[in-house]
Amino acid sequence: MTPALPDILRGITLTLVTPLPPEASGDYMVGRTGLLAMLTGLAAQEAERGLAARVWENQALRRLFAKTSGAYDEALAGQLAGAAGERADDLAWAALDEANARLRRVLIALHEVVEGRGDAALDREILELYQAMARARRLDLPPGFGG
Amino acid sequence: MNTLAEQLAAYLTRTGGRPTEVEGLSRISGGASRETYRYDAVTGGERRGFILRRDPPGSLIETDRRLEFLAIRSFAGKGVAAPEAIVLEEEGAELERPFFIMGRVDGGMTGGVFGPDPYGEHARTIGEQFFSRLGRIAGEPIAGLPILEAAEAPAPEDCWRRELDYWAGVIEADEEHPQPIVRAAIRRLRREPPPAASKIAVVHGDYRSGNFLHDGAGKVVAVLDWEMAHLGDPLEDLGWAMNPLWSRPDDARISGMIPKEDVLAVWRDASGLEVDRKALAWWSLFASVKGQAIWTSAAKAWREGGMVEPILAFSGWYTARRHDEILAETLVAMENGR
Repeated sequence: MTPALPDILRGITLTLVTPLPPEASGDYMVGRTGLLAMLTGLAAQEAERGLAARVWENQALRRLFAKTSGAYDEALAGQLAGAAGERADDLAWAALDEANARLRRVLIALHEVVEGRGDAALDREILELYQAMARARRLDLPPGFGG
Repeated sequence: MNTLAEQLAAYLTRTGGRPTEVEGLSRISGGASRETYRYDAVTGGERRGFILRRDPPGSLIETDRRLEFLAIRSFAGKGVAAPEAIVLEEEGAELERPFFIMGRVDGGMTGGVFGPDPYGEHARTIGEQFFSRLGRIAGEPIAGLPILEAAEAPAPEDCWRRELDYWAGVIEADEEHPQPIVRAAIRRLRREPPPAASKIAVVHGDYRSGNFLHDGAGKVVAVLDWEMAHLGDPLEDLGWAMNPLWSRPDDARISGMIPKEDVLAVWRDASGLEVDRKALAWWSLFASVKGQAIWTSAAKAWREGGMVEPILAFSGWYTARRHDEILAETLVAMENGR
């Protein structure tokens, strides 16, 4: 998983309090400080949008599974129905990521079956969902860092 | 405990047989798989600049420093602007971890990888040199090259499979959260493999904007970061160098240099090879898979390393998200092009 916001913030703190040897105090230190500034800017974006992106993605996957649960073999149908019906009332970062991991595993299994059956319409729908998922989690480099 | 400068001076004095001082030792950014330092060695009043590349305790990519060293040495004096590879110490000697030393190219600068116009008025000149040098690497016959001491040449029809198996395996091993987009891309690549390589060439492995030095006046003075070098299909490097990751926000120019068709023309002229468009499309999608594998490892290495190396956090976060976007866009575009 790409690091979650709480880990990024912990990492910035740990990096700042970790001493460097004397030979790393020149250009390397400057570069490292710039990276920490960039990570902080990205963290601000993630704080604004990251939670909403996770809630949206999990809902979108549950909707897809609810729609497709009757269309496939029994084992996969059970997974799809189970995932579609999961409770979704815990909005903590970790809980959303754990739910997302479960849902993504089912999505991978579904897409493999869809490709194997040559279901072009559902294949395209899943590819477009990938595009929407990636866009929802997009990070833009902060001004001054190439953005 | 001695400082790194003292350890290095002891090594240089022992191996050179003359007292040598190390001055100005300073760590610089230089790839995420080795610690890179610049220093001056002073022997008998004579001063010369060098670069030290030492294995870190943990790294972004598991790479073979011997292969890197021999790849650089393979292109000495061949118009590619490879640095001078001087000595390799695989046991670490006084420096405790494996390292090698290269000649230093002073006065060079890197272009900002994600900057809006990294090469300014020199974009075309630099682009032509950059892709011309890549073409020369691709066109170089491999017979007799030092890299053959450490690299195995695949059969032309196996290049794609070997690389895809390796990087898919990296994702499998290092993934800490399911990644449906890159897995869909891997399946696609397996379903529709490329034609066999037109030749077996040295593949730099990380040939891209940010991994070379220019003099600020339009001249490429050094091609760096050979740590993922291997033998394979030369289109692999072209796909990687042209990946959209390096071109934002100016998608019309590859890496902010020159347009795609100009890149291909320069590369063809320098390499003497034709570009099979279907094969290039395969290697372009593969490049994004390989990128995602590297960023997946970066995220894992960042956590396991105590979360104190910000380049790993950036790679495992921003670039991973960006490559998911690129992969999804490419998969949809390929579907639209059917």
